[in-house]
Amino acid sequence: MTSIDKILVANRGEIAVRVIRACREMEIASVAVFSEADRAARHVRLADEALPVGPAPAVDSYLRIDRVIEAARASGAEAIHPGYGFLAENAAFARSCEEAGLVFIGPRSQTIALMGEKTSARRLAVEAGLPVVPGTLEPLADDAAIRREAERIGFPLMLKAAAGGGGKGLRLVTGAGDLASAAARARGEARSAFGDDRVYIERALSRPRHVEIQVVADHHGNAVHLFERECSIQRRHQKVVEESPSPLVTPALRSRMGALAIDLVRKAGYVNAGTLEFLVDETRAPYFLEMNTRLQVEHPVTELVTGVDLVKLQIRIAQGEALPFRQEDLSQRGHAIECRVYAEDPDAGFLPSPGRILALRVPGGPGIRDDSGVEEGDEVPSYYDPLVSKLVAWGEDRPAAIARLRRAVREYQVLGIKTTLPFFERVLRHPDFVAGAIDTSFVERLGRDPHAAAERPRRVAVVAAAIRAYQQRRAVKSAAGAAPAPSVWRHEGRIEAQGGRG
Amino acid sequence: MIVDAAVDGHVYRVEVTGGQGRYTVAVDGRRLEVDWREAGGPFASLLIEGRSHRVGLEPRPGGFRVLVGSDELAVDLLETARVDAGAARLGPAGPARLLAPMPGRIVRVLAEPGQEVAAGQGLVVMEAMKMENELRSPRAGRLAEVRAREGQTVETGALLVVVE
Repeated sequence: MTSIDKILVANRGEIAVRVIRACREMEIASVAVFSEADRAARHVRLADEALPVGPAPAVDSYLRIDRVIEAARASGAEAIHPGYGFLAENAAFARSCEEAGLVFIGPRSQTIALMGEKTSARRLAVEAGLPVVPGTLEPLADDAAIRREAERIGFPLMLKAAAGGGGKGLRLVTGAGDLASAAARARGEARSAFGDDRVYIERALSRPRHVEIQVVADHHGNAVHLFERECSIQRRHQKVVEESPSPLVTPALRSRMGALAIDLVRKAGYVNAGTLEFLVDETRAPYFLEMNTRLQVEHPVTELVTGVDLVKLQIRIAQGEALPFRQEDLSQRGHAIECRVYAEDPDAGFLPSPGRILALRVPGGPGIRDDSGVEEGDEVPSYYDPLVSKLVAWGEDRPAAIARLRRAVREYQVLGIKTTLPFFERVLRHPDFVAGAIDTSFVERLGRDPHAAAERPRRVAVVAAAIRAYQQRRAVKSAAGAAPAPSVWRHEGRIEAQGGRG
Repeated sequence: MIVDAAVDGHVYRVEVTGGQGRYTVAVDGRRLEVDWREAGGPFASLLIEGRSHRVGLEPRPGGFRVLVGSDELAVDLLETARVDAGAARLGPAGPARLLAPMPGRIVRVLAEPGQEVAAGQGLVVMEAMKMENELRSPRAGRLAEVRAREGQTVETGALLVVVE
C-alpha cells in the first residue's frame, strides 16, 4: 500500500478541475500544470500548487513528457493523474512515470501500449472471445494497402487511426471514389494528433448504436463492470450526449456485455478504470470496437447511477487498495444524461468558437451537476479541445432525467462564445430522442429537421435588442447634448457576418 | 425610435418609446408593455405583458447577439431610413466574402483566383481546436480574390476568399 499525499494533474479544463476536486475531498494536495495560455485558468486557480510547462501549443506544454515529469519532481508529487486526452493514453508517458518512481493513476504502461494500438487490441479481443466488427486486424501503412483491403471488405467502411481515439483520423467512406481523399484526410489528422498515420479498416454497420461498458480492476485480481453508457448521439464521430442506462440495452444484453468486458480485462491483466466501446447493430448484436485505458469524459453518468466516485476509486486503486465492492453489490439506480457543452457554433456546422466568456449563468437545483472548466471572465483558448463543461442530470427514470436536463439547459446562459446549448434544446425535445430511438446518424437527421428551428423566441429577442439600442442612443444623445447620435449599426458588418457563414 | 429588426430571415418593424425601465414597444404594429430591469453585466430581466424572460445582450456588427434563456439569436438592426440602401448592398449581385469563422490555421487552399465555383464547394480547409474544417463557397461565381495562404494563422473575420 502506498499512501499518496500529493498528486500532479497532467491536464487542463474541466477534467483537471474534476480531479483537483477529488483530491481536495481526499485531503490530498493537488498540483496543476499550465501552458502560457492557461496561467489564469480555473484548474490553476483551484489547485494547491501550479507549475508552468511551456508555451500555449499542447505539443510544447501539456504533451511534453519531460516537463510534466520534471514538474512532478519539483513539486514533490508522488503520483500523476493524466485525465483524458493529452498524455492519458501515451504508453511512453506511463513508462516514464514508472521509471521516475511516480505512481501513474491508470493501467500499466504495457497495457496502455497493447490497447492503444487499436489493431493489437482487436487481436487480443478476438483471442478473449469477443465479437469484433469485420475488418483488418493489422495496421495499414500505405495507400496501396488501404485500397486493396477496402476492396476486399467492401463499402461503406470506416477508416480509423491505428493509434487513434476521440474521433481524430476517422472517416466514413461510402464508395471507392471517396477513398483516396478520405484516406489522405484521415492519415493527415492521425499524423498531427498521434504522430502515427497508420490506419485500419472496419466495415460500417447500418445505423449502429454506440454503447460502452465501464470497468474497474484492482491490483489484487478483482474486476467489476459498472454497467453501460449509451453514446450514440455524436457529431463528427465525437460524442455530445451520453446516458446510463442505455434505452436499448436489455438486462440480458447488459450482463452479456459486462461479462465480455471482464473477459478482456482479465486477458489483458488490466488495472484501474477503463472503458470498452462496442457498436450494437439493429439485431442487438454487440461488436467490440476498442478499449480506452483512462477515465472517460462521460464518467459522471455512471457515477450518478451507481453512486461510485470513479476518480476517488482510481486514486484508491493506485494506492494499492482493493475494490470496496463486488459485482453483486452494484446496481443502476435511476437514469442520468450528460450534455457536452462545447465552445462551438451549432448553427455553423459546429465550428469552434473560442474567445472570452463575457457572462455566465450556471444552472443548479435538484439532480443537476455541472462539471465545468471555466468561470465568467475566462478565456477559451483556440489551442485545445473546445469542451467547456459537462451538464449532467439525474432523475428517477429516463423521462424525469430528460425533463430535468431540459430545465437546466434553459437556465444555462453563456455570452461571449457560442456553445452547443441551443442544440441540446433541440435534441432533448426531439421525439426520437424522447422515445430512445437514437443511433449515430441522429445529429445528421436533426440538422435536416425543418421544424427543429421553428419555436425560436424571435419576438422577445427583437424587443430586447430594440430596447437596448434605444437606451444606447438616448445615453449617447444625453452625453453629447443635442448633437445627433452616431449610428450604432454598420451594414458592412452584417454582410461580413453572413458571408462568413459559408 | 423606429427600426427594422431582422432575425432568422424574418424582418419586424419595431418602434420603441418610454424610458426608465418602462417601455412601449410596437412590433409590426402590435403594442407591448415592457418592464426592463438590469440583471448584472449584460443580463436583463424583461416582463413583456407580464411574461418573464431572462435575456443577455452582446453587441455584434450590425446589431446584437441575444440570449433568451439559452436560445441564441442574432438580431440585425437597420434604421428605417437606411433599409433600402442596406437591402441593395445585400442583393445577390454583389461580391460575397468568405471570412474566417474562427481563429486557426489554414491547412489547404482548394481553389485559385479566377476559378468558377459552385455554391457549397469547399474553398479552404482550416484547422482549429485540433479539427480540420472545410469552409465552403457562400454561392456560385468566380473567385475574384484568394487571400488565404497555406500554413497561415488567421484571426476571426480574416478575409479568405472573394466570390463574385
